[in-house]
Parts: sequence; structure tokens; C-alpha cells
Amino acid sequence: MTRDAALAGLPLTLRRTWEKDAQPPRLVSIFGRSVGRETEVHYLFDRGAADYEETTVVVGGEIGSLVPLAPAASWQEREIHDRFGLIFAGHPDPRPLLRPWQPAPPVSAPNGTRRWPPDAAAGIGAEFIPVTGNGVTEVAVGPVHAGIIEPGHFRFSTMGDRVIFLELRHFYTHKGTEDLLAGMDAAGATPIAESVSGDNCLAHAVAYCQALERIAGVEPPPRAQALRGVGMELERLANHIGDFGALCGDVGFAPMPALASRLKEDLLLASLAFCGTRYWRGIAVPGGVTMDPGEQARAALARAVAAAGREFAELGGRALRNPSVQARFDGAGVLTPQAARDFAAVGPVARASGAPLDLRRDRPYGAYRRRSVAAARLAAGDVMARAQIRMLEAAAAVEFLRATLADWPPGNVRDRFPAGAEGRGWAAVESPRGELVYWLLLQQGRIVRCHIRSPSFQNWPALPPAVIGGIIADFPMINKSFNLSYSGCDR
Amino acid sequence: MMGDLLLRTLRSPSRLVPLDALRCTNAGGSRMPQVLGGRLNADLADRLAAICPTEAMRRGSDSGGRWFELDYGECIGCGRCAAAAPEAVLPAVHLEACGVRREALVHRWSVDTGKEIPPQTAEPPRLDRWLGRAVNIRQLDAGSCNGCEAEIAALTNPYYDLERWGAHFVASPKHADLLLVTGPVTRNMAEAVRQTYAALPAPKLVVAVGACGCSGGVFDASPAVAGGVDQVIPVDAYIPGCPPTPAMLLTGLAAVLQRRLGRRGAGRVSAEAVKARSATAGAGSVASRANPQSS
Ligand code: SF4
Repeated sequence: MTRDAALAGLPLTLRRTWEKDAQPPRLVSIFGRSVGRETEVHYLFDRGAADYEETTVVVGGEIGSLVPLAPAASWQEREIHDRFGLIFAGHPDPRPLLRPWQPAPPVSAPNGTRRWPPDAAAGIGAEFIPVTGNGVTEVAVGPVHAGIIEPGHFRFSTMGDRVIFLELRHFYTHKGTEDLLAGMDAAGATPIAESVSGDNCLAHAVAYCQALERIAGVEPPPRAQALRGVGMELERLANHIGDFGALCGDVGFAPMPALASRLKEDLLLASLAFCGTRYWRGIAVPGGVTMDPGEQARAALARAVAAAGREFAELGGRALRNPSVQARFDGAGVLTPQAARDFAAVGPVARASGAPLDLRRDRPYGAYRRRSVAAARLAAGDVMARAQIRMLEAAAAVEFLRATLADWPPGNVRDRFPAGAEGRGWAAVESPRGELVYWLLLQQGRIVRCHIRSPSFQNWPALPPAVIGGIIADFPMINKSFNLSYSGCDR
Repeated sequence: MMGDLLLRTLRSPSRLVPLDALRCTNAGGSRMPQVLGGRLNADLADRLAAICPTEAMRRGSDSGGRWFELDYGECIGCGRCAAAAPEAVLPAVHLEACGVRREALVHRWSVDTGKEIPPQTAEPPRLDRWLGRAVNIRQLDAGSCNGCEAEIAALTNPYYDLERWGAHFVASPKHADLLLVTGPVTRNMAEAVRQTYAALPAPKLVVAVGACGCSGGVFDASPAVAGGVDQVIPVDAYIPGCPPTPAMLLTGLAAVLQRRLGRRGAGRVSAEAVKARSATAGAGSVASRANPQSS
């Protein structure tokens, strides 16, 4: 479909938004909401301003697809199709996404609640994009994988060792989380947000709380902000160290995963001593946080972070200077800046492919308003760049933690959160995997609609372009260098 | 350079947590509650049942009078109960209910007398003495949030080192004695879970992990979720928690395999022994043997 034809098919408001500037805006998310017999489709764009730009279109039955103009819209539109039955005219790949083995979208009740058919047995085998030709071999992997990892399916088409096509089939861990949240008391629903993606549960909790606070017009006290910031940077540090170790493990550089798993556990135990939990569950609540560690606890945490940070910087640097690691990381799994833009990639993946995108700097929130974080950016887009980005960001997190813990704001840690908040609003935080967005619509303190746009949902479609053209044996390493969450994507 | 790194690895002091310590404080950091039955009264029971987001705390009455229940299998450790009633609910340090049958996760008290009412069936989990010391574990994610996986993966780090009992994770269900299943089983994973179970050779031990694995957890009400693991395949034992701590996972696995942590010589290391060993390792006993020039 030509650009003009695609533009002509769009609703007028959306077309105006798209054409407003010479440079089209970055697509943040598209999501739907049932309103009577029609569907309200929300488009969130980033134009570099302080606020995202939201365009809303109400349609019944059919709407023009944005995919020919913005490939990043593909999964978003397919999800809306599956959930609300809306047809996206001109979508190049309109197959079901959430339940690919089921040709028709699941039954949608008018109020937007989902009813899954009773025979909801999963299976693989529904149509994949066919890749044919002499010597083409199809390799199916998953949903049950070999390690301690989440489920998902990868369908490779290979020619010899070379991957010539890769299709992802995810949403095995789809738990209907957004629908589950609808109708809940908003102030008490943080535990659900914490269970969207367990290894960065604090980022999810904070994003959720910030969206609520924004709607209710509440600003948590500075000390609460500092504590959330400390927790989120610790989360980033632990994740980056763990990912880096596992990445080295994937190329047979065994000492690094052993060391990294120890450093990660050092940090989890330091968290436990600091605030009574390893992963900061139950800490962030609307209006603030639930704990206030004293000076000694802060000093102990600062020591643990400094020690882990020092060791990681030294040993990680050595790992990356090792020729056998370099031979595997250098030039493997390249995500070009153009592909990163097309798929609107976010987080460390985008920053390793030249995109200067970091919410902590672009739209500072909470503790980052008081103290900025050094932004990392590399251009190569290969596995090496994604490994280096994690080291740079770990160092920046260590510095942020040192400075924040040393300059502790006074005051309380929790303000009263008003009952019966109403309205709509979004909040976004930079989770360890990148931009994480919560969009909320509240009525009398209850959730009407909650949309969760995880960085993994955004980044998964950017994985195949980095894998195709390489050898299949590099896949585990490339996949690990993205290290995306399945549950965060599938929700 | 590689040699330096290797040297560093070998020289760093041992982090192995003594087994007795693991067992005694297995629930530390899990935020699971401990109820002081004697402090219960009707008003408090009502209040706790009302604030618990997962209905892990509930009350009712029967011929024996009013009762109050805490189901660890549903508790996500949100901490609301302990915050609301610190006089009657404390954060648990030790949790016996790991690697037990489903009924044993439910604790019930008489609200009138404050006494605990023992569960109806106290049958221990299945015996599999012939497993001996080694056990092959296959971890299966049936739809979890990845929180339980993070803790299961931690079992292999130098602090917990699951392999000291000869237990290790294998890549295929066909090689496994035990299936360690996390997550609420999503509708989308249900068939894959059944097929994985079918591929498991006898004795087909299954342990459900986490609030979601035990009961469906916070996702139980979702139509996209089939429920806890036992809604789809037979389960032998349950390890609660959101997520369970590595120590809870270890004590739970040991209970299933009928192995008493710290009661067998080979696995038992005292704190002093650890200290002594780390001191020697750190002081260069390894360094003196290695030749930096050769790397
Ligand atoms: S800690 Fe557990 S029992 Fe207590 S309120 Fe939360 S979920 Fe319920």
C-alpha cells in the first residue's frame, strides 16, 4: 500500500496528527476501549513535548491501519482486533495475536469484558507465514523452553545455519490482566501491577501509582520519591548485572555468570536488609511508600551498592576485553538505527542502536527531577553494544544511588490518597527494559480501563530483524542481549 | 586476562548459606504473615478478611463456632494485614508450610477460643524413597509473571547452591523426576502443561510454586486463566509465596523429597566452617598455586 493510500484510509483526526510535523511522531501505544457498540481507539504519540499527544477516535467495525506508515503499530492493532473485534483495513498481517490458533476473535461482551470459549486448549500449528524453497528448514522452538525461562514460541526458517526468517508467537502467558483490573478499587490494585512482570515489579508499581497520583492531583513527599528512585535504580542494577552475566554464559564464558549471580544476590540481600523485601513488592502505594529506613540502613545499602558496582565494573570490563567474548559479541545481532525507529524500540535496546531515548532525562519524574542520570547511547546496535549499554547504565545507577542515599530529603514518606478519584491520565517510567506506560480511566475511584504498554511488547517485534541473516546458533545470545519479558508483553 | 578473572572467582570468599540458617529463617523477606491466634476476636477477624486482597484471610462459622482462616496458598504477602493489626499479625520468619499438601497450607483458628484447629487431613506428601539423593528437576512456567523464576534461578547462585544435594535442573521433562511449576495456568498454556506432564517419566512428582501456582493467586478470577496448577495436572506438593524466597523453595523441595535440611552430614556446614574456609581461600592459598604469567 502506498503512503498516500494509507494516509487516505486513516480517520481525519489521526491523519492530521500524523501529518502535523515533517517528522512523524514516535508511536507510544494504541489501545481500545468498548463504548456501547463502538470502540474508542486511543493513539499515544511522542513528539518530544512534556506530555504525550493523545488522539482518540470512536469507530464501529472498521478503521484504517497505521501499519503501512508505522510498522510499530502492527501488534498494537492486532491486539485491538482480537479484543474488540475491530478490523484494521490495510493491515498487512491481520492474523490473530492473543490466541493465534483461534481464527475468530474471542467473544466480546458489549461492556468490554472478555469471555474465553470453554474449549480454550492451547496448541501450536495454526498458520505461520510460509517460507518455502529448496533447502529451507523450519525449526520450531517452544513454548516450553529448556531453561528456567518464560514460555513463548519461535519459528525459524533456516538455510543451512543461516536464519532467513523468524516469526514470534507469544501471548502464552496472557492473563487478561487489563480486563481483570477493570472494576477494581484503584487505590488497592497495586499488587496486580506488581505481578505484570515480576523481575521489575517496582517499576510497574511506580508507573501505576504515578498514573493514579496524576489523576488525583497528588504529589508524593520528596522522601517517598527518593525511596522509589533508589528502589528503581537498584532494580535496574540487579537486572543489568544478571543479564550481563547470563549473556556471557551464553557464549561459554563461565566465570561471569557465576560472579554476576553472586553480585545480584548481594544486591537482593542488601534490599532485604534495607526494606524487608528482595524485590520491593508492597513498597510503592498511591501517595508514597510503606517504609522509611533509617540512616544506618541507608549507609549499609550505599556500601553494598558501591562494592557490587565496583566489582561489576572491573570484571565486566575484563569480560568484554576478552577475545573469545569479543569474537561472539562483535557485529552479531545488529539492530540498525532505522529498524529501531521503525519498530519504535525503547530502552537499552534502542539506546544501543543510536536512539537517545530515556524517560529519566526526557520527562524527568519523581527522584529524577532532583537528580539526573547520565544517559548512555551507542550506535553499533550489536550484541556488544547492548552489553556495553548495560555496563554504562549500571555505573550510572551506582552513581545515582550513591548521591541519592547521601543527600536524603527530610519529611514523611506517605500522603493520604483521596478516595473516589476520577478522570484519565497516563504515567511512564524508565524500567530496566525501557519505557513503561500505564494509562488509566477512573470513575469514583474504580478502574474503568487500564492499559499497560510494557517495553517488552514494544521491543519483541524488533528482535527478528536483529536475528535474520545471522546463524541460528547465535539466537540464544541475541535473544538474551534483548532480554525481554514474556509476561510483561503478554499481560 | 582470563586467568585474572578466574583467579578472582576462586579467591572470593564462600557465600554458601549454612543449611540450618536457611531452614530456620526460610520465610524472612517473604512478607508472609504469622497470625497470633490468641489475639483474634470477631471484630478483628472481620477487619482482616475485609482488607485481604486475595481472600487468603477469611472467616465463617459452623457447628464448632466461629472460625478464622489463613490460606498461605492464596496469600501474596502484600503486608496489609500486618500493617492493619500489628498486635495479631507479624511478618513470618519461619514457615513450616512449604512443600506440603494443599490442605496443610490452610491454617484455621477458633475465634472464640483463639486455639488453632488442626487440618482434617495431615497426610504427608508422597514418599519417594527410591529417589535417593539426586533429583532431576524440570522447571515449567505455566504463565507466571517471572517473579518465581527469578527466585528459582537464584537457587543455583553461590549462596544457595541447590546442587549440593545432587539436585539439578534439566532441559527436558523427559529427563526429570520432578516438575516445578510456576504461575497460574493460562488458557493459552494449559495444553502445553498437559503435554509436558505427559512427557514426564514416573514417578511424575509435581510441585506447584507461588501463590499463582498454588491457587491462581491474584489472577484466579481472570477468564484467561484456568487457575492454579492442580486445575490442569495432579500436584503432589505446594510451596506458597509471592514469590517464595530461595530458602522457602529449598525447604519445600527438601520436604517433598523427605530430606531434612541440615540433618545429613554431607550437606551440613556450620557458620564457623564457612568463615574458616573463606579466610583461607581469601588469604591466597589459591593465588600461590596459580601462575599469573601463564594466562
Ligand atoms: S499479606 Fe497475605 S494474608 Fe495478609 S492481607 Fe496480604 S494477601 Fe492477605
